[in-house]
Amino acid sequence: MSATALYGFVAHGIVFGAFIMLLPLGDRRRMLAFAAIPVALATGIASFMHGFAGTPSLTLLALAVWQLISIKPAPLTCRPALILLAFAIPFYAMALGLGPLDPYASGYQPLPLLAASLPLAALLWWRRLDNWLLILALALAGYASGIFANLFDVLFDPLLVLVALTVVIRHHARRVPNDG
Amino acid sequence: MTLPRWLPPLLFLLAVAAAAWRAPAPAIPEFSLPPSAATNRTPASFATAMLPTAAASAHAATLAELPDGRLAAAWFAGTREGAADVAVWFATLDAGVWSTPQAIATREGTAEATLAYVRKIGNPVLYAEGDRLHLWFVSVAIGGWAGSALNHSVSGDGGRKWTPPFRLQTSPFLNISTLIRAPPLPLADGGLGLPAYHEFIAKQGEWLRFSADGRIIDKVRMAHGRRTLQPSVAALDGRHALAILRDGGPAPGRIRAAKSDDGGRQWTETDALPLPNPNASVAMLRLRGGRLLIAGNGASNRNELLLWISDDAGKTWRPAPTVESVADASAEFSYPALLQTRDGQIHLAYTWRRQGIKHAVFNEAWLDGEEQ
Repeated sequence: MSATALYGFVAHGIVFGAFIMLLPLGDRRRMLAFAAIPVALATGIASFMHGFAGTPSLTLLALAVWQLISIKPAPLTCRPALILLAFAIPFYAMALGLGPLDPYASGYQPLPLLAASLPLAALLWWRRLDNWLLILALALAGYASGIFANLFDVLFDPLLVLVALTVVIRHHARRVPNDG
Repeated sequence: MTLPRWLPPLLFLLAVAAAAWRAPAPAIPEFSLPPSAATNRTPASFATAMLPTAAASAHAATLAELPDGRLAAAWFAGTREGAADVAVWFATLDAGVWSTPQAIATREGTAEATLAYVRKIGNPVLYAEGDRLHLWFVSVAIGGWAGSALNHSVSGDGGRKWTPPFRLQTSPFLNISTLIRAPPLPLADGGLGLPAYHEFIAKQGEWLRFSADGRIIDKVRMAHGRRTLQPSVAALDGRHALAILRDGGPAPGRIRAAKSDDGGRQWTETDALPLPNPNASVAMLRLRGGRLLIAGNGASNRNELLLWISDDAGKTWRPAPTVESVADASAEFSYPALLQTRDGQIHLAYTWRRQGIKHAVFNEAWLDGEEQ
């Protein structure tokens, strides 16, 4: 068993626990969410998620851990979710074969991408978005660990994009006036 | 708790420095070719034999030569293609006798090693690199073959024991749709270039470049067409290579082609070869003398298994003797794999009516039409 396999398996267990945190389970929600992690690992839920979704990104894992342990709302609010969707949807479309360019390939030799992350980090720091700056640092440290071959895989993944889509839909649903 | 203002950027700078240290900066790729050798003109020979049966349905053979000179074959077999009991089977040819097939990759073993659900496994590729024997094979969690992920395992003892399979990360979207069919080419830096293909939404050949330590360090689309798959590649020299691809469109098609003039960094689609392809796998081999050999099917169905030779690096092709041909259009002789062993013999393994794997061995004199 490789470190990559172990990471992906355990991370999906944690992501499953974070999903339980989103359910309306009352005061015991956090306890049930933590209890769901070993259940997911032992019953095959994490294995199925790992087989279906691949290795989760460190960004998704960080947000899942945040969801589980913090009393503050996770930093994936509507604006960062929209930014992620605006980047990820055309990225996936091109990577899956729409058009001649495969942006994913650049993640295997990511020195230019790492250089591009410097002004992004400066912007996050200037805007005092320390949480996102720390998540970006964690993701890059994860790439340095050797668990991931492609830099894009530490930054985002389809489950994270699905979460972002849910955040955006919920945000706009709340803004629709109740006509009842 | 509030972090000091300087701490997040400091942690970021440490992380970006570590990531930059880890990021590969590979040299310009170059193909590594064995030196051309004059072929010994032995009398024409051609012989065939069925490999031992492993299961009711067999498909997608691959060949490699072990360091001790034995021929190794792997293929997938089970009750039917895609069934849960399909395994990758392995056998060796020693003194003219095939060994009893051993299962070297299973659905259960792959799921256990990767800690991920696996519904089925398929297409294996063997490659001997010194004392190491590589095995790549595909696995699927959900859906059809377009949902495949790539797995890698290595044997250091000629195929008796294998490392637990490792799932390679080759696609950003659920890590799906990377498949393989043909063996890799060695690169001058000690790495490998593995022909692969993508099937989800678009069908296209891909080229995965591995570093000498086995990391994926590049991925290139071979052609921008949307109906090519299962590339087979032959290097012509250090920088030039020809890829042939299965025509994924409706039959009758033609063998599609792409070329690289820079060691595999870029591939451009070229005119299709004047050779038929009924949406079926093809194999190409560069013979020791420099000629190219293709194995594939006839125009409409898989009931003929044909060979073609090129003496001019793929510019022109002429037919070689036919390997299989029957009138029954439903018969299948498909998915050829080619290998030339160090003794100059040419080996061809292929799916025989889905009932088993057939092995043909011949020499260049037979290819040139000399009488046996």
